[in-house]
Amino acid sequence: MKGMDINMGIIQNKKAYAVFLLPALIFYIFAVFYPIEESIRLSFMKWNGIGAPKFVGLENYAAMFKDKVFYTALINNLVYLVIVVVIQLSVGLLFAILLTYMKKRVTLVKTLYYIPCIVTTVAIAQLFRSIYSTEPLGLLNQFLAGVGLEHVATSWLANVKTVLAAVSVPEGWRFIGMYMVIFYAALVSLDPSVYEAAKIDGASELQILFKIKIPLIKEILLLTLTMCLTGALRGFDIPFLLTAGGPGNASEMMSTYMYKKAFSSNQYGYGSALAVFIIIESIIVVYLLRKAFTTREDREIKQMEKAQRKQRRRVK
Amino acid sequence: MKKKTLKVIFAIVIPVFLFIQVYPVLWLFISSVRPSAELATKPFSLPTSFTFQNFAKVWSDGKILGYMWNSFKVTAISLILIVFLSATAGFALSKFKMRFNKAIYSFFTFGIMVPVQITLIPLFIFYSKAGVLNTSMSMILPQVGFALPLSVMMFVSFYSFVPNELIEAAVMDGCTPYGIFAKIVFPLARNTVITIASMYSILIWNDFIFANTFISDSKAKTVAMGLKDYVGAFGNIDWGSTFAAITISILPPMIIYFALNKWVTSGMTMGATKG
Repeated sequence: MKGMDINMGIIQNKKAYAVFLLPALIFYIFAVFYPIEESIRLSFMKWNGIGAPKFVGLENYAAMFKDKVFYTALINNLVYLVIVVVIQLSVGLLFAILLTYMKKRVTLVKTLYYIPCIVTTVAIAQLFRSIYSTEPLGLLNQFLAGVGLEHVATSWLANVKTVLAAVSVPEGWRFIGMYMVIFYAALVSLDPSVYEAAKIDGASELQILFKIKIPLIKEILLLTLTMCLTGALRGFDIPFLLTAGGPGNASEMMSTYMYKKAFSSNQYGYGSALAVFIIIESIIVVYLLRKAFTTREDREIKQMEKAQRKQRRRVK
Repeated sequence: MKKKTLKVIFAIVIPVFLFIQVYPVLWLFISSVRPSAELATKPFSLPTSFTFQNFAKVWSDGKILGYMWNSFKVTAISLILIVFLSATAGFALSKFKMRFNKAIYSFFTFGIMVPVQITLIPLFIFYSKAGVLNTSMSMILPQVGFALPLSVMMFVSFYSFVPNELIEAAVMDGCTPYGIFAKIVFPLARNTVITIASMYSILIWNDFIFANTFISDSKAKTVAMGLKDYVGAFGNIDWGSTFAAITISILPPMIIYFALNKWVTSGMTMGATKG
């Protein structure tokens, strides 16, 4: 993540270096970079899977930017991403923080919260289909009726207005526990002496939380935010299983659209152009994120080191 | 924050979220032991009678065991490869003095930005030419490839806590780089290994996208795909059997999770900084 982690080694042995590094590197290049190269190549071709691919230049990309469904999928995907990331990180962090104040049954709560991420997406999709259902009345509509909001009840997956949120929530929901466990581990692994000193100096819990604890787990936050964003950008399983992008294209994601174009319509070239777009989109998002984080991070690391030195002096 | 405020927060927030997080899964288990007829009429009330008929039905057609074996194979082989490859590569990148380390490390972490969908079309074409569609290998390759960036990153960040003096001392005692890795550094990385293994065993077992793309033969199907079959095969009528199949399929990751629970939570940094 940071240049700091690297270049600190001391062993000087080229042969051993190659033995340790090359297997992973070769595997990685073949599994990740060969497909990227092939996707780019295919995106300039027209091919239905039979015969020889025909070179068509930028035709696929031109078609893509004229394709209304492409824009629908793009916007849907961004909405999906925002819903998923907000649910996963905010609720995950909130729970991790609350959990650090809990004395008893921490393990039990953690264990229970984590369960949804162990369940396969196929099961999750099935579960939410039941929750959203109208016939028989699903859990959500039953709940709404119970609190006097019958008029809000709808067929969540068939209603064009609600379907996008309905396919986003399950994905956000299922990983809350995982992010909570990661954040909790990071928070409890902090050296108590750092914030004990601040406490002695009269800092409130909230100050300690936002000024000391959260900045200290920034690296984990970046790691999880990256995980979370790339997870949401690849958002496929649950939308595909729940609605397959429907009704119409109301819940179409970039990846479900790509999948359909390639494997249902056999338009491998056009599908590849969409795949290339997905990769560019992901890279831009993560790059911007990383940029934003590192500049701020560097500044804060310096500040923190100063603060720590001060605290140490005070403790002495 | 005052103690009372905290208590109120716990009293309200924790149960509400516990309900949201846990009830749906619990409902899944309850539904699997509920007679199908009852499930159709009042699915959300507590069952009035328990039955294992649903399980018996799913078990007797015998497909689920095969699906689970396929999932197990893919998960186990992938995990071994992920841990082995990222532990060694991470070691090379953080404990060797080489000029290209930084560039290679960036090259690995670049993979985090790459969405898995990019592999589907090229690998599908490659596999069908090579005749390896419908094999475990077809799923293992992308699983491992896409797990490497994050796991290499985790190992590098762990190794950065292993003091260079320790390695220097070992070198002076005549220890080879292989010995340093096998006897000193890797054993220290136990928490990182378990963190990675537990995370990826869940993600790989649950994989749907690779299985759905590369597997069509029911002999090679993994359990996630198999569940989709069950849903289809039983139509919209026999929910009980579907839920029973789901319950069976999520037991192995549950067992693994409950067994490794304390390792996941102990986290990778703790063992490193204090060990």
